[in-house]
Amino acid sequence: MATLNEKKTCSERMENFRRFVWNPETRLFMGRTLINWVWISLYYLAFYVVMSGLFALSIYCLMQTVNPYEPDCVTLRPDVYGDRGLRIYYNASDNKTWEGLVTTLRTFLTAYTPAAQHLNINCTSDTYFIQDTFDGPNKTKLSCKFTSDMLQNCSGITDPTFGFPEGKPCFIIKMNRIIKFLPGNGTAPRVDCTYVGDESRPLEVDYYPVNGTFNLHYFPYYGKKAQPSYSNPLVAVKFLNLTRNVEFKIVCKIIAAGITFDNVHDPYEGKVEFKLKIED
Amino acid sequence: IQEDHKLSASELEEKYGTSTNKGLSSARAAEILARDGPNSLTPPKATPEIVKFLKQMVGGFSILLWIGAAFSWISFGIQFAQGAESPFDNLYLGVVLALVVILTGIFAYYQEAKSTNIMASFSKMIPQQALVIRDAEKKELPAEELVVGDIVEIKGGDRIPADIRLIFTQGCKVDNSSLTGESEPQSRSCDFTHENPLETKNIAFYSTTCVEGTATGIVINTGDRTVIGRIASLASGVGNEKTPIAIEIEHFVYLVAGVAISIGVLFFIISVSMRYKILDSIIFLIGIIVANVPEGLLATVTVSLSLTAKRMAKKNCLVKNLEAVETLGSTSVICSDKTGTLTQNRMTVAHLWFDNQIYSADTSEDQTTQPFDQTSSTWTALSKIVTLCNRAEFRPGQENLPIMKRIVVGDASETALLKFTEVILGDVMSIRARNKKVAEIPFNSTNKFQLSIHETDDPNDKRFLLVMKGAPERILERCSTIMINGKEEPLDSEKAEAFQTAYMELGGMGERVLGFCHLYLPENEFPDTYPFDTDSMNFPTSNLCFVGLLSMIDPPRSTVPDAVSKCRSAGIKVIMVTGDHPITAKAIAKSVGIISATSETVEDIAKRLNIPVEQVNRREATAAVVNGMELKDMSLQQLDEILCNHSEIVFARTSPQQKLIIVEGCQRQGAVVAVTGDGVNDSPALKKADIGIAMGIAGSDAAKNAADMVLLDDNFASIVTGVEEGRLIFDNLKKTIAYTLTKNIAELCPFLIYIIASIPLPIGTITILFIDLGTDIIPSVALAYEKAESDIMNRRPRNKRRDRLVNEQLAVYSYLQIGIMQSVGAFVTYFTVYAEQGFLPSTLLGVRVNWESNAINDFEDSYGQEWTKYQRMYLQWTGYTAFFVSITIQQVADLIIRKTRRNSIFQQGLFRNKVIWVGIFSQIAIASILTYGLGHVTALNFTPLRFQYWFVAVPFAILIWVYDEVRKLLIRRYPGSWWDKNMYY
Repeated sequence: MATLNEKKTCSERMENFRRFVWNPETRLFMGRTLINWVWISLYYLAFYVVMSGLFALSIYCLMQTVNPYEPDCVTLRPDVYGDRGLRIYYNASDNKTWEGLVTTLRTFLTAYTPAAQHLNINCTSDTYFIQDTFDGPNKTKLSCKFTSDMLQNCSGITDPTFGFPEGKPCFIIKMNRIIKFLPGNGTAPRVDCTYVGDESRPLEVDYYPVNGTFNLHYFPYYGKKAQPSYSNPLVAVKFLNLTRNVEFKIVCKIIAAGITFDNVHDPYEGKVEFKLKIED
Repeated sequence: IQEDHKLSASELEEKYGTSTNKGLSSARAAEILARDGPNSLTPPKATPEIVKFLKQMVGGFSILLWIGAAFSWISFGIQFAQGAESPFDNLYLGVVLALVVILTGIFAYYQEAKSTNIMASFSKMIPQQALVIRDAEKKELPAEELVVGDIVEIKGGDRIPADIRLIFTQGCKVDNSSLTGESEPQSRSCDFTHENPLETKNIAFYSTTCVEGTATGIVINTGDRTVIGRIASLASGVGNEKTPIAIEIEHFVYLVAGVAISIGVLFFIISVSMRYKILDSIIFLIGIIVANVPEGLLATVTVSLSLTAKRMAKKNCLVKNLEAVETLGSTSVICSDKTGTLTQNRMTVAHLWFDNQIYSADTSEDQTTQPFDQTSSTWTALSKIVTLCNRAEFRPGQENLPIMKRIVVGDASETALLKFTEVILGDVMSIRARNKKVAEIPFNSTNKFQLSIHETDDPNDKRFLLVMKGAPERILERCSTIMINGKEEPLDSEKAEAFQTAYMELGGMGERVLGFCHLYLPENEFPDTYPFDTDSMNFPTSNLCFVGLLSMIDPPRSTVPDAVSKCRSAGIKVIMVTGDHPITAKAIAKSVGIISATSETVEDIAKRLNIPVEQVNRREATAAVVNGMELKDMSLQQLDEILCNHSEIVFARTSPQQKLIIVEGCQRQGAVVAVTGDGVNDSPALKKADIGIAMGIAGSDAAKNAADMVLLDDNFASIVTGVEEGRLIFDNLKKTIAYTLTKNIAELCPFLIYIIASIPLPIGTITILFIDLGTDIIPSVALAYEKAESDIMNRRPRNKRRDRLVNEQLAVYSYLQIGIMQSVGAFVTYFTVYAEQGFLPSTLLGVRVNWESNAINDFEDSYGQEWTKYQRMYLQWTGYTAFFVSITIQQVADLIIRKTRRNSIFQQGLFRNKVIWVGIFSQIAIASILTYGLGHVTALNFTPLRFQYWFVAVPFAILIWVYDEVRKLLIRRYPGSWWDKNMYY
């Protein structure tokens, strides 16, 4: 079979390309006359305007259909998790090593000052705070107060260093907000910290509030729009008697019906694991 | 071999234990065969398989993917060294990319191996045969079974099956060009003429061809021990140069690779200047490359081509070279043989003249009766002459075959007459037996007649019947009476005039005319003991009674006129090139439509206007019949002029060399030329042609070797089928590519928007691979089964320089219009999924860094809920799955719109191509399996998607369909408009 042989030299290719960009004989710029370019550009302009319009319309419709208070359909439940931290190593006598941690805690707790919480009401009941109506101002729902003084020794009020220099550091465990999630099936969820892999070995800790429970009146959460001033309830954990210069692997779980802590893929679901080492 | 040419025939017989008359015994031959092995060359060491395999690994898009894989590994290495959280993602991605390249490489390798096997089976299908004398019988044996000592017979056109010492020759010439490079045929004889075996005339060498004449010889060497086997330099054929479709594919690969690299580099620069880390930018680059490369496409193209090749083989076009399938589609000139290709290659009685009237006979391939009026007693007399004055006989043992298929021993016209009478009268042989032949003079060129004398089958009629046939004018000379309506009438000048008119008319139709006469010899002069002597001719051979004329022609195949008119409407010029007489050639050309009914040659015009040929304006004549003699004296310019000015051309009395000149002339006009041929001498023209087509039945091995395609039924109409298939596959490949390219934009946009708007990544690299190599594969192959849009054989052949497979319109329409629509649809799905899970579109912009941070495990959504890293990742995979599903749904619409380029889908029929529906179902099934079946395998990044999300993109799928219907409607409504030029691909 005879075949096409289109071997071109480099200069020929360059020449062809130049001719393609601007052909003086046919007055073609990149294969089109200028007026043709205008037309095609106008067409594409119109096309993209219409497509953007369609996209905007679709998103508008989407926004119309979504419920402003809670997601329409949650196939995934974002779940509970503990506080930040993977490896916490610090030197008790060197305040540079722990000042950062203390500042973080203090900043975190600014949202829990009485001033920050003044919109929220005092709750005393130990049951779920179910609100079917919008009782708050501007079609909102009420939220319960959680102030940092509830954390007592770990509130940063009595001890602004959160026990770090003494080797008795405070950690704060928070539950992630989940709309209409009712943890514990009537009993308050409780934080329980143990050594990893050795649950029976006693770990000396103090929990604040007492028993390390999240009071049920903080649940359920109705979403940002319904409860704009809602703040997550907290549990502080104070480690009392940790041997210095030894690395401990500690896990804090939340014990409650409806909260799992054994998802292999998610290390933060229902628990927090961290390594802690306090040096001299 | 050194001595064999010096030995005499009897010495050779002794040496090889054979006999020139009886040959070897089968048992002895089997023994030698077991000892020497088959008579074939050990194939030359081909390119090592591993090299072939590695070539597949780096061709096409593979390089780009290797680069992607390398980048993945590099970033894995860096991340691993830095101790990052999840470096293994990149390692896996690199492995997957490498696997993709290797798997597609293996597939391409397998395809190539398979087509090599097709070639192998092809050579088995038409094995070389040799005529051998064994056990004192002539046998056709495969040449592989020849052994030393066999006696073989060779005739013109055969390939010499082994090294042969000739012991009998008749005008034998061989073409030794494959051995010695001499292009002139060498004559061969039985004489020892030279000491050097290579020079002596009495040896014919393996693999050379016998050009003309016949010869018989003793096989003296077989297989690797032949001269050529020892030189082991069999010209392995022409190097693999690029076919039109290969050029188109290469053009397409360059185009896509260009787009991929430029967008990749552009966004690499953008992301670097947007202060992304270099490592992240590299990962983006990989994503962009993977999104841009249609990984499955090259495999799809191969499959489509081989599907077409298979389909063509079913229609009797055996394609030796896959890519030739498409070349046939771009053919603009077919130079066709006459005999056997356009015609049936057998003489058939076409017309009769008796009782002063011309009757037409049925010349179709499968005649069983003859329709003309057979009541006249002149016909009875004529049929008797035709039956008796004929030496042709059917080979015995064919009673069950249809008459037209039976093998006859005898020359072409006698065969025609025999079959003709057999059809009408039934058992001719018994008629002949009842009319015993007592004397016979066979045809010879001085007498120009054939005569025989018979007893009659009427027991009461003791007269002898003398019957004679021959050249009509010679027969008429010997007649004094003529039979009209069964009565003998004197042959006056008026009747002679009528004869002349009829004779001229039949001759003018290019037919071979025979005259028939008879005489009942008077019983008293010729009693039944009369000693007839054919030498002294002691019986009357004049004053006979003229009975009638029969004319014969090799009639056109019944399918050919239709095929020629198809070619004509398809813009393909059919040129007849034949060695036959111009009048016959012209008659056949007219009857098959190569010269249409209304067009005239220069000579016709001259005759009509009654002016000399020189005064005719040549431009007025659309047809031309060019004689080989004229062609010889023509300059190239004159030939070009003829090829240019006449649309209907017949070349008659041409030699094979002239055929080559004609092909070259056509190619000078820029035509893609297909040439048919069967003889050895056609092979240069077949090689020179853009596509050489050899005849499977009549073709010689040399022709079949030189050709790209073999017509198994020798039928011209099969070429037209091939052209149609070739054009169809070109169109369908366009559709396949358009289909495949479209979704690349929908795969690419996520990366670009991810980089620019910092949203969570909408689709992952692995997910893209699942589209390209999963859901999209079967649908794109299904497009190869698409039926032609109605106009396929009504348009001009494609211009190989202008009409590209992937043209600007195709790329632009797929990328910038349908692709954009798909992206919009997919993004709407993406935002819907995220919004319904709690992340409204406004919260997604700019979140990338925090979203992907491992340290943030209380990421807040629009509703104030908090998400851990893994939960976000899971949502991201749900996003991937949703994006994947919406691309799949929109690809269904894309598949449907790609069924046609111009016609409405409703004109084409939604359900005519069932395979498309297989494709659609496979697409949806694969997507369902991936989402629901494998949704729990984390590494694949699929999640079981909520059922509703499958439907978010449906409005966009419908939009794509409607938009494309509008596009096609406007193209059909306003042909040639701005819209047509810009939107038709």
